[in-house]
Amino acid sequence: MTFKVRIVERKCIGAGQCVLSAPAVFDQDDDGIVVLRDATPPPSEHEAVRKAARLCPAVAIFIDEAGS
Amino acid sequence: MSEGSTAAAPRFPFARESPLDPPATYAKARAAQPIFPVTLWDGRRAWLVTRYDDFRAVCVDPRFSGEFANPGFPAVTAARVVVDKAERAFVGMDNPAHDHYRRMFTKEFSTRRMMALKPRIAEIANGLIDEMLAGPEPADLVAAIAVRFPSLVMCELIGSPYEDHRFIMACAAARHGLTQSVDEAETKARELASYFRALIDRKEAEPRDDFVSRIVAEHVLPGTLSRDDFAEIGAMILRAGHDTTTNMIGIGTLLFLQNPGQLAAVRDDPDAVAPAVEEALRFVSPVQFSPRRVALEDVQWRGVTIRKGEGIFALPASANRDATVFADPDRFDVSRDASAHVAFGYGIHQCLGQMLARVELQVIYPLLFQRLPGLRLAAPIEAIRFKHDMQIYGVHNLPVAWSTGKIAA
Repeated sequence: MTFKVRIVERKCIGAGQCVLSAPAVFDQDDDGIVVLRDATPPPSEHEAVRKAARLCPAVAIFIDEAGS
Repeated sequence: MSEGSTAAAPRFPFARESPLDPPATYAKARAAQPIFPVTLWDGRRAWLVTRYDDFRAVCVDPRFSGEFANPGFPAVTAARVVVDKAERAFVGMDNPAHDHYRRMFTKEFSTRRMMALKPRIAEIANGLIDEMLAGPEPADLVAAIAVRFPSLVMCELIGSPYEDHRFIMACAAARHGLTQSVDEAETKARELASYFRALIDRKEAEPRDDFVSRIVAEHVLPGTLSRDDFAEIGAMILRAGHDTTTNMIGIGTLLFLQNPGQLAAVRDDPDAVAPAVEEALRFVSPVQFSPRRVALEDVQWRGVTIRKGEGIFALPASANRDATVFADPDRFDVSRDASAHVAFGYGIHQCLGQMLARVELQVIYPLLFQRLPGLRLAAPIEAIRFKHDMQIYGVHNLPVAWSTGKIAA
């Protein structure tokens, strides 16, 4: 099973939903723009990352999930 | 209400049947006709989007524009149309212009920066509670705390003198009211932009460690942001920061007072606070008539045709009561995960100051309930004036008492 997180940095509007939802995986740089801390987070983080992707108002977070 | 029959399109906005719930029409529409036409004050037709999924889809669909300057852009009052047309801040722009400007300001409202302000924000809140306790009882919590707290925080953050907060509130009210004249709204919009323009000049001459000084140094002096554009954006930020959190504090406190079990959770359990704030935002959804969009082409949506040039209101108060996302949605329940709510909007225009609002509310609710364990309404609910006359919903007053062991006079 793969779980790969991808962000489209240029779409980020700095709303911060991802940092609230999955702080172990997302952070903000000095300009308040998303930083991906871990592109292949452990399974314990998957639900939080899915939530972050769901809540991102700029639709800037994508998850490639395959296999089971 | 069949498609195209404007005669059947009811006049919008609607009155609320119950002060703490959105108009009942929204729930009926979610079940029967989730996108339906209404008639605006000027006779134009616009569409209401009532379901959660549609709300989010409309907010990110490029066939719908958020350009205030578009002649079809909808508004609930004549005054709002006029000030929208004059709006030059990114709140009324599509991309790429929107992101270009917004990104100059994201760092100022970043999650980390707002979280770091928490101790100072708590200090401000404690000071206001001290003052209220030292004054007469009962007191109006709106005047004593709800208006002053976000104003003090904003003034300190922005670097504007606190004495000016009444003027800023008046400017916000002139834009966010449902009853004011075109003239009044226009004048106050101009006055606030001029006020901020003068603030820029002052900070340019005498920089401090504040928002205006930093933006001047980082964007105005290097020439990437004009002083006039910054003045418009600054005016927008001042209005938004003073008026919205104030409403959440007033009506949110009322909501907790009416639900003592939930109040106790926020008072006693630090882990309950953040989710409770999200639930209060979901339940109240104070911004009533935004996000707005205008169709750039004819769009088929759930069996209706939204014509090019017609306006759309995506309704947070309706989307946030959508039972497919929030179980038992009319129940105020701080133990639920309400974080998917759209009280701050969705899409690129989602609230810039949302983290500041969250921190302010996460500070003020528990502090009020911890320091005033006897906090209660000091008047029947009929004495509370709800903001039926405003675009941002809340209460005009909230008479409270707090002493234990005696009946307040």
